[in-house]
Amino acid sequence: MTIEAIPIHFIQTPSAPGLSGNAPPLLREVVELVRRLLETGESSTIDLSALPLTPADLDWLQAMLGAGEISITLQASGESTLNETACSGVWWVTHHNENGTVTAQFIEVAFVPELVKAHPQDVQIGLDYLESKLLDS
Amino acid sequence: MQGPLIDTLVRQGVSRRTFLKYCATLASMMALAPSAGRAMAEAMAASKRPSVIWLPFQECTGCTESITRSHSPTLEGMIFDLVSLDYQETLMAAAGFQAEEALHNAMKENDGKYLLIVDGSIPLGLDGAYSCIGGKSNLETLKEVAKGAAAIVAMGSCASFGGIPKANPNPTGAVSVSDIIKDKPIVNIPGCPPIPVVMTGVLAHYLTFGSLPELDEKGRPKAFFGETIHDRCYRRPFYDQGKFAKTFDDEGARQGWCLFELGCKGPVTYNACATAKWNGGTSWPVESGHGCLGCSEPDFWDAGGFYKALSMPADPLKIAAAAAVAGAAVGVGLSFANRAKKSAAKTAHETTTLDDLEK
Repeated sequence: MTIEAIPIHFIQTPSAPGLSGNAPPLLREVVELVRRLLETGESSTIDLSALPLTPADLDWLQAMLGAGEISITLQASGESTLNETACSGVWWVTHHNENGTVTAQFIEVAFVPELVKAHPQDVQIGLDYLESKLLDS
Repeated sequence: MQGPLIDTLVRQGVSRRTFLKYCATLASMMALAPSAGRAMAEAMAASKRPSVIWLPFQECTGCTESITRSHSPTLEGMIFDLVSLDYQETLMAAAGFQAEEALHNAMKENDGKYLLIVDGSIPLGLDGAYSCIGGKSNLETLKEVAKGAAAIVAMGSCASFGGIPKANPNPTGAVSVSDIIKDKPIVNIPGCPPIPVVMTGVLAHYLTFGSLPELDEKGRPKAFFGETIHDRCYRRPFYDQGKFAKTFDDEGARQGWCLFELGCKGPVTYNACATAKWNGGTSWPVESGHGCLGCSEPDFWDAGGFYKALSMPADPLKIAAAAAVAGAAVGVGLSFANRAKKSAAKTAHETTTLDDLEK
């Protein structure tokens, strides 16, 4: 039996609900945060999952910010992408879980995203490893 | 086994960035400032495993299912492994006298320091005979184990508010944990079942700060229960625009419009489904096209019909008030300006809460 034999057919739903009007004020906030980064060097993050945004809103924001030169992929219990937007210093950060579902989404305003920096303790572990290799050779 | 959490994680092959990412996600779910993720990661990485005793009473094991099958094997599950779960009848290998011995050992060794998790309500009818474990009524066991607990987590609507066992006419005389225990800090994590990440969040908070998170007037962590489903719903903009589904298969339903008129209890239900979602973040009731049942509110079962629309005031002034006071109880006042006059008149009469519907 094929699926066509079932006498009920679903109607193709529209791909994305419309714009809610919540995205433009957010863009204004991004502008403020970029200004703050330049003036004080203070980085900041906007948690996108905490805001009532429709998929269309997110698309609109992404289109406004554009795509930049750097895309960072992090493999840590699912993939994370940290992409620079066309506006330097504004990063679009998306965390996925192992199933590929988006678990959190942020706009990070920083010179370098926090997650990218190496932790001193981890650098120490790397150093210990390298030194042990030197002793072996 | 008692070393810092990050060492245990590293031994299990979890990198610091994985942990940081997890904490960022958790902070996001807990509606903490995005910068809190890093602070949480640092504190949690250095913390040690607390002893946890978990008592299941008059319950359906749905809460246990929700927590343990959330979406393993993720970090969420691992954090949960990282507490020392010393007694849980459904999960533990021991049975009978061995199990009871494990309970008493854990109580003795960690006296005054263990975290007690309770799921299920406590029946008071027939001297508690409706639910007994090892010859003791739930009431006796709860009182005995609560004595040495640092804090109690009432998990699920039954332990928090009596839940479905308490549904009218409450044949077993079911009550909540807080109806019995008055001298210990109690966190209610209601929901039928509760959201796994709320449990993890409370544990994370306990590990990070050594204390329980801030609670609302119903004993629920504000981080997850501070706002209504409606406040955080992705369909909320359609509510504000007056776009409603009128039946489950009309054009509005297909367009993903607001389910308010189909009985959605989102406006009076405080929970985190809209942000935390279910099944590993796949979806949640409203996203799948069904209104919220209000399962994390007291007596939701007797609240007057899942498909009966709530009546709300048509007072536009209340919008500003509700937005200004985070977590205002009934304050989701709403503008029906864009709606047809007929429906506005129909719904303009009164403010209705779940409490009112019970009367």
